[in-house]
Amino acid sequence: MKNKFNIYLLEYAINALLRQKYKNFFIATVFTLLTFLLTSIFFITNSIRHELDATLEALPQIIVQKIKAGRHYDIDVAAMDEILAISGVSDVVARVWGYYYFENAGVNFSIVGIDKYEMQYKNSFIKLSENFDFDAINGGESMLIGKGVKRTMEQSYYSEYFNFIKPDGTLKKVQIAGVFDADTELESNDMIVMSKDLLREIFDIQESSATDLVVKVANPQEIPTIALKIKLSFPDTRIITNQDLQVSYQNIFDYKSGIFLALFVVALFTFFIIIYDKSSGLTSEEKREIGILKALGWTVDDVLKEKFYEAFLVSFFSYGLGVGLALAYVYILQAPLLSAIFVGYSQLKTSFELPFIFDFQTLFLVFFLSVPIYIAATLIPSWKIATLEADEVIR
Amino acid sequence: MIALNNVTKIYKLGKQEKITALDAVNLSVKEGELVVLRGASGSGKSTILSLIAALSKPTSGEVRVDEKHIAKLPDHFASCYRRDNIGFIFQKYNLIANLSVKDNILLPLVPLNPDAREVEEKTEAVMKRFHIEHKRDTMVRNLSGGEQQRVAIARANVNNPKIILADEPTANLDEQLSNHFIEILRELKALGKTIIIATHDPLFFGLDFVDREIEIYKGKIAL
Ligand SMILES: Nc1ncnc2c1ncn2[C@@H]1O[C@H](COP(=O)(O)OP(=O)(O)OP(=O)(O)O)[C@@H](O)[C@H]1O
Ligand SMILES: [Mg+2]
Repeated sequence: MKNKFNIYLLEYAINALLRQKYKNFFIATVFTLLTFLLTSIFFITNSIRHELDATLEALPQIIVQKIKAGRHYDIDVAAMDEILAISGVSDVVARVWGYYYFENAGVNFSIVGIDKYEMQYKNSFIKLSENFDFDAINGGESMLIGKGVKRTMEQSYYSEYFNFIKPDGTLKKVQIAGVFDADTELESNDMIVMSKDLLREIFDIQESSATDLVVKVANPQEIPTIALKIKLSFPDTRIITNQDLQVSYQNIFDYKSGIFLALFVVALFTFFIIIYDKSSGLTSEEKREIGILKALGWTVDDVLKEKFYEAFLVSFFSYGLGVGLALAYVYILQAPLLSAIFVGYSQLKTSFELPFIFDFQTLFLVFFLSVPIYIAATLIPSWKIATLEADEVIR
Repeated sequence: MIALNNVTKIYKLGKQEKITALDAVNLSVKEGELVVLRGASGSGKSTILSLIAALSKPTSGEVRVDEKHIAKLPDHFASCYRRDNIGFIFQKYNLIANLSVKDNILLPLVPLNPDAREVEEKTEAVMKRFHIEHKRDTMVRNLSGGEQQRVAIARANVNNPKIILADEPTANLDEQLSNHFIEILRELKALGKTIIIATHDPLFFGLDFVDREIEIYKGKIAL
């Protein structure tokens, strides 16, 4: 026996598929759609889960904002000492940040000021302040920008520097020192980071005030108690704890995954209907064909090999196509339509890109939920017929 | 050499109902012999062919071909035996309607994992010999009855088998085509093949190149 691949068996399989091209085209279409839907759902869920985890991780434990007439005002940094005196508080940081309206594109960027001598309240800023020295570039008049910001600015031909308009109407030219690379796309996309001094100048914020205060607590279990103490000392503030935020983020996420679960179940259900139809038996035409092949000297192995090629071609092609389409749909097109389901999520943050997380587990899972099941469902009925006496089958 | 020894074939129809298709049949056919099995419908002719081709197994008795016990072959080896020894021309031809003539004819070669040149040579040779080469790319379903039969004959010969079995080969043919088939038969006989034909067509009776005519009556050989 020669050991080379039997091309005629494969050719027969392809011919057999073409002979029932409408049926097989239908199966391949449904199969592709299901793979596409399943992998898209997994991709999107994974990406969001990843973003969410990173975002929650990065949330400050307690934020203290000054409220006047229901609106958020700058807070006096003098409050910091009093808060620091509360037992259990390990650190207080004055944050300086704001939104800058970029008129050319009609969008808001958030600008955050950091000071390398201070404790950083976000992990990504720790990395950043270790690796980057604003003072060293252009006398401190430089900034790092998120990818989304870079894209928008480049559309208006600002690739080296940007002119901020200060509240008094004068311009402030700031050099673009690089692209800000945070842990999460969600965080960095519309963000600009610069030194606190520069930000104070652009937004005209006094040394004695800050946008809000971030409080670090040694024991996370004390967060609610400490929040309450701060509230009592400063009745004109709003206290936001990371637990409040976590709950609302998580709620949104769980609700969205519920919808996904429903889609997932529908997809699987449809798939199993196809499988059921396949495995519930062959048409008399198909049975006869197997009988004829056996009468002509094909062994059961030959018949099953041929059927395997048929099933493998259809299912693997559909699987590959489905996964390819899902990759393009989720990561290139950013999941239009399906992303409408996350409207609630994107409201938390206006512009947001699904980060590319290539997850082999998802691909394996979808593969094992589909391809082998389809192949088995095709082979088993053929095997039943092929092992009968040929005479019985072709009479 | 083909030998049936005391072969009985009983088909079970229901729990009780049985049909004895063959009843203690003894038959032997020598190499190169051409034998015509004749008899009324339902007498058991097709059953004999099917047993010789190992397409079914006898209820009792033994079937030997070249001293091999055909009836005892496991399914896998029965397939190999057919592939290497038998060319079967079925009554209904059993072609695959939506495949081309050539693709039908090469089917018995496929399990041998042949190379393209071998397939080309063998299919061309039989298509020429049985005058169907001009239709090689036509779908079988678009062929006339006589053409379909020639495809079936070509397919039965593509593996160059020692034994040719033909079941009612002229049942679907007009007289002219039937006579043509008889000429083909003469050729095959001249090639030295062992041939068994099951038929009740009187055209086959009394032909000069037929070695023996055997009458089957209700599952037995009528002497
Ligand atoms: N698979 C089967 N199941 C049940 N009965 C069968 C089966 N095959 C054959 N028979 C019966 O066995 C008997 C012999 O059948 P067989 O086909 O051998 O006859 P035949 O001589 O070829 O007839 P014909 O000339 O009509 O082809 C018939 O009564 C037939 O009904
Ligand atoms: Mg018959």
